[in-house]
Amino acid sequence: MTADAFLFWFLAIVTLGSGLSVILLSNPIYSALSLAMTMVGISALFVTLNAYFIAGVQLIVYAGAVMVLFVMVIMLFDLKSDTVAFAKGKFTGALKVASVGLLAGLVVAAIDLSKGLIGVKDGENHLVALGDMEATKSLGRILFQKYVFGFEALGVLLLVIAVGAVSLARSKGGTHEH
Amino acid sequence: MNTDFINQIGLNHYLILAALLFTMGMAGVLLRRNVIVLLMSIELMLNSVNLTFVAFSKYLGLLDGHIIVFFVMTIAAAEAAVGLALAVTIFKRFREVNIRFFEHLKG
Amino acid sequence: MNHSLLMALVILSPLIGFLINGFRYKRHSANVAGVIATIAIAISFVSSAILVTDLIAMPEESRRIAVKFFEWLVIDRLKIDAGFVVDQISAVMILIITGVGTLIHMYSIGYMHHDKGAAKYFAYLNLFIFNMLLLVLGDSLLVMFVGWEGVGLCSYLLIGFWFTDSEKAAAGMKAFITNRVGDAAFLLGMFLLFVTYGTLNFSELNALAPTVAESSWLGAVTLGTLFLFIGATGKSAQIPLYVWLPDAMAGPTPVSALIHAATMVTAGVYMIVRLNPLFIMAPNTMMVIAIIGAATVVFAATIGMTQWDIKKILAYSTVSQLGYMFLACGVGAFGAAMFHLMTHAFFKALMFLGSGSVIHAMHEEQDVRKMGGLKKYLPITHITFFLGWLAIIGMPPFAGFFSKDEILAYTFNSPMGSPILWAAGVLGATLTAFYMTRLMALTFWGKSRVSKDVHPHESPALMTIPLITLGVLSVIGGWIGVPHVLGEYLGHIPNVWEHWLHPLIKGIPGWQTLDHATEFALMGTSVGLALISAGIAYHFYVKAPDAPKKIAEKIKPIYNLVYNKYFVDEVYFGAIINPLVNLSRNIWYYIDVNFIDKMTYLAGDLARGMGSVIRSSQTGNVQQYAMYIGIGVVVALSFVIMR
Repeated sequence: MTADAFLFWFLAIVTLGSGLSVILLSNPIYSALSLAMTMVGISALFVTLNAYFIAGVQLIVYAGAVMVLFVMVIMLFDLKSDTVAFAKGKFTGALKVASVGLLAGLVVAAIDLSKGLIGVKDGENHLVALGDMEATKSLGRILFQKYVFGFEALGVLLLVIAVGAVSLARSKGGTHEH
Repeated sequence: MNTDFINQIGLNHYLILAALLFTMGMAGVLLRRNVIVLLMSIELMLNSVNLTFVAFSKYLGLLDGHIIVFFVMTIAAAEAAVGLALAVTIFKRFREVNIRFFEHLKG
Repeated sequence: MNHSLLMALVILSPLIGFLINGFRYKRHSANVAGVIATIAIAISFVSSAILVTDLIAMPEESRRIAVKFFEWLVIDRLKIDAGFVVDQISAVMILIITGVGTLIHMYSIGYMHHDKGAAKYFAYLNLFIFNMLLLVLGDSLLVMFVGWEGVGLCSYLLIGFWFTDSEKAAAGMKAFITNRVGDAAFLLGMFLLFVTYGTLNFSELNALAPTVAESSWLGAVTLGTLFLFIGATGKSAQIPLYVWLPDAMAGPTPVSALIHAATMVTAGVYMIVRLNPLFIMAPNTMMVIAIIGAATVVFAATIGMTQWDIKKILAYSTVSQLGYMFLACGVGAFGAAMFHLMTHAFFKALMFLGSGSVIHAMHEEQDVRKMGGLKKYLPITHITFFLGWLAIIGMPPFAGFFSKDEILAYTFNSPMGSPILWAAGVLGATLTAFYMTRLMALTFWGKSRVSKDVHPHESPALMTIPLITLGVLSVIGGWIGVPHVLGEYLGHIPNVWEHWLHPLIKGIPGWQTLDHATEFALMGTSVGLALISAGIAYHFYVKAPDAPKKIAEKIKPIYNLVYNKYFVDEVYFGAIINPLVNLSRNIWYYIDVNFIDKMTYLAGDLARGMGSVIRSSQTGNVQQYAMYIGIGVVVALSFVIMR
């Protein structure tokens, strides 16, 4: 087993394990910590894909900012572990699980089927040619040239979201009478 | 036993890993009752999609995938902010963050 | 002054009066509103007088002032102008309407003094005059119809003026609905004439009238004129549509004088005279008109003999007198009809106003059995009423004599008339003399039956001045139409009236002048009979007050029949109104409620049912929605993979 393969399998197991614990643990704070673990795992997977800049952003934005937000809200609410963690449903629950499983199977099958359609062979690494700094530089170039409109639109979106989130959190909660 | 699957890590490995993460997230969205855990599951799904983008980006030699990931992250952060704000208002009113308090839109 | 300006003044000043009082009806007191309204009509009267003076100054052949304000309607062949015409016929009408109208407005100031809604009353009265002027001045049937409907509306509003009394409100509705029946026929007649001649303009219609009389019953002219005549029976209260007029007495008395005696009810006569070249070419229609007129004369007069309400007696008298006008039209004596219209306007308005004065003095008492001996309390009212009485029973030389005897002479002599119709007319005159004397005797003469707590008093000058004016007119009004025979013997007094109307009235085909002896005999008969019956009535109701009761006892069935107005209202209710109401109710219940409503409900229920089926999927459960998305993705993916 090569070092690359070992790294991949190790990260895959860590990511899947912590992902599972996100949805299975009944205490939200544990779920949040598991999610942070998953984020770190995915960040490492980005490194194995030579996406160093994205990996850094992933760590800063997700494992840093977003997770802090989650944890802060959980602590603010002072949530204990849920007595009933999963939504009840007579047959919908089973249906949900079934549809999730079916989806997983279908996606894997689809990937398997489309192996030949994507014109790359396993193990070939096209981005290897570019150095680390080169990749980041060209990434910035694309972002501020080809995708500048989307970038600006996202800026506006973030502003709107910031205002909206503040006003939502300040409201008394809902339009209905108490 | 064919050890290629274990030794030769390729695009499909990443894709399948992402698919499994995605289904996990989806299971969380469908099954959990706590709104905050629900939001975490959504983050999980978004992350798995990011993983596929980056993997494709590498194996197709195109940097555009990274840009999309960048955008998705921004959207995800925004979505988490709004979602948590909603959770805060719900909590303020009912002292609980159960998804059933979102059921006012029933027909 | 410019003719179109004058015409605008004539027509618009009542409208302006209506608008002023109508918009401020809550603020204006009876005096303010009354003065405004009276001045508005007076302006109209003065302008009319100037117009008519100009008309007289014109050469005889071209006497016609036509003013076209604007083009009103142009629809394919139908071209209607807002055009108004003053000619010999409408000149008479506008003078009567605005002249008598001014007097009655003046009288109303006194009469309505205590009423809270006086300003509203004057506004309606002005609106009525405006519409009446539209009716008589309009140069086409359609413009006339606008006024025709307008006066109907005002009549409804004024009959039901005291609408808080449900009986009075019902009387207003009855008048309106009965008029609508006639109006529908009027419309049909209008359509038929338009389809036949392609125009609704009076002068064009009259010019296009056939030169040969139409003998068939189903010809366009006969049918068209018949329909118009049915319209006239509605407006002018003839059999079979007269039923509304006696009930219309529920309105204020000046209204009865103006609308239901002097002006509006004569609209039908006016319309027939207006179209006389057309009517005379439809001998069948003329026959119907004459018969209906004669029947109405006698019919209404008999009912009038038995009534106790002072205004009801006058109402039936009006119906009867209108019958004379139609009788005259029916035998081709259009000039005589117009003449009687005018004299009747004077003496009947006088009598109504006199009765108003009596009612006013008696504190709203209308039953003649509770009157009597009022002569000494109401001297002016008595004298003027007396003059009106002389005029209506046809005493020479009062106004009614000239017009009524001219009608009777024409009826006897005209090729379209007949001695039978003449006999009916004379019978009517005799009955008229009887019931009018009865009214005089019961109200003014004999012993007083006034209850102790009523103290009759003469009305104020505002009310007596119109009475005196109309009294004078009732005396001298007839002299402008002195018959030739009398004129010759009395020193060549010309028949101004006949001469005046001559250019617009078609001669009666086959007319032969009557020899003097016969004409005098006819006059003598009717006057003599009227005198005798007046004498009998005087004897009955002044000398021997018990006699009428005894006679009524002896002929009880007949008396009851007449007293109950021949049960016409009951027959109408039983035969027409109730079946119609039942039919409508059934249609409403079975078709509208049970069919149409149910269909619409079915559509609604269907949509709601389908909605409720689908609604169950909208649980509001977000996770369930997410599951639907998931299932959708599964289905789509499996479709891609299995392909």
